[in-house]
Amino acid sequence: MSDAESLDGMSTVEVRTSATAALIPTIRAVASDLAARADFDLDAISDLRMAVDEACATLVDAADPTSQLLCRFLVRPERIRVHAQVESAKPDTVLSTDTFGWRVLQTLADEVEVLHEPASAGRPATVGIRLDKTAGDVPR
Amino acid sequence: MSHAAEDDAFGAGLPLDTAIARPRPDVVLLEVDGEVDTLTAPRLAARLDEALDTADADGSTVVADLSGVTFLASSGLAALINAARRATGSGRRLHVVAATRAVSRPMQVTGVDALFDTHTDVDSALAGLQRPTPPDVASPARGVGR
Repeated sequence: MSDAESLDGMSTVEVRTSATAALIPTIRAVASDLAARADFDLDAISDLRMAVDEACATLVDAADPTSQLLCRFLVRPERIRVHAQVESAKPDTVLSTDTFGWRVLQTLADEVEVLHEPASAGRPATVGIRLDKTAGDVPR
Repeated sequence: MSHAAEDDAFGAGLPLDTAIARPRPDVVLLEVDGEVDTLTAPRLAARLDEALDTADADGSTVVADLSGVTFLASSGLAALINAARRATGSGRRLHVVAATRAVSRPMQVTGVDALFDTHTDVDSALAGLQRPTPPDVASPARGVGR
């Protein structure tokens, strides 16, 4: 195993697409593949796939039409952290967390958090969602 | 939206196939195949409405067969919730066939499955929907003259 791979037992995978709902199936396919490789149980794989879909769909709705959707997966042996981010449609875009979809996301993930980053130094404002999911009741 | 955006390979998203059948006069069977997400959920909602329109018109019961659904997002759950409420409003229950984890897990984890009757296959859904009237032994030719 190379030094990079053995770093804290963690691997990083990034997927970058146009911020369009039509490409979310690709991102959620990556999510379930990574979860399966990280020995997540079948329910946890299903939950992560759905949580990532939900996060990305929420962000695409809030994204500037020219934005990309960046989805970063930090994969540890029994835990995956996902950080998805888009450029906001407006500088003051705030994600609505008063929705059925958000409640579903909270149910599916162990931890979920909205991250708003204001515009600075010529960089546009961004809005992101970070979520954590553990592997489930796998034998330790 | 099947091939609405042919200049964009991903413009139409993944397909969602639906079909409405009448396996029995008292049942409207909506068969759904594919992935239900934000792009395809409106189609599921429209087809559920169509099936419920039929049910309202002739007093039949809607069975949504999701055996061929390989992904179900919250937008799809919302469509099922609305359909379940509409059925309940008409004094009926929505019946859902959830054969795979891709469907049963999202319904369980959100508690949505309490809103309708779930079945593991279409046959058991239909068997459970036999009309409460007892078999009429006096007319063995029942139904033949239709």
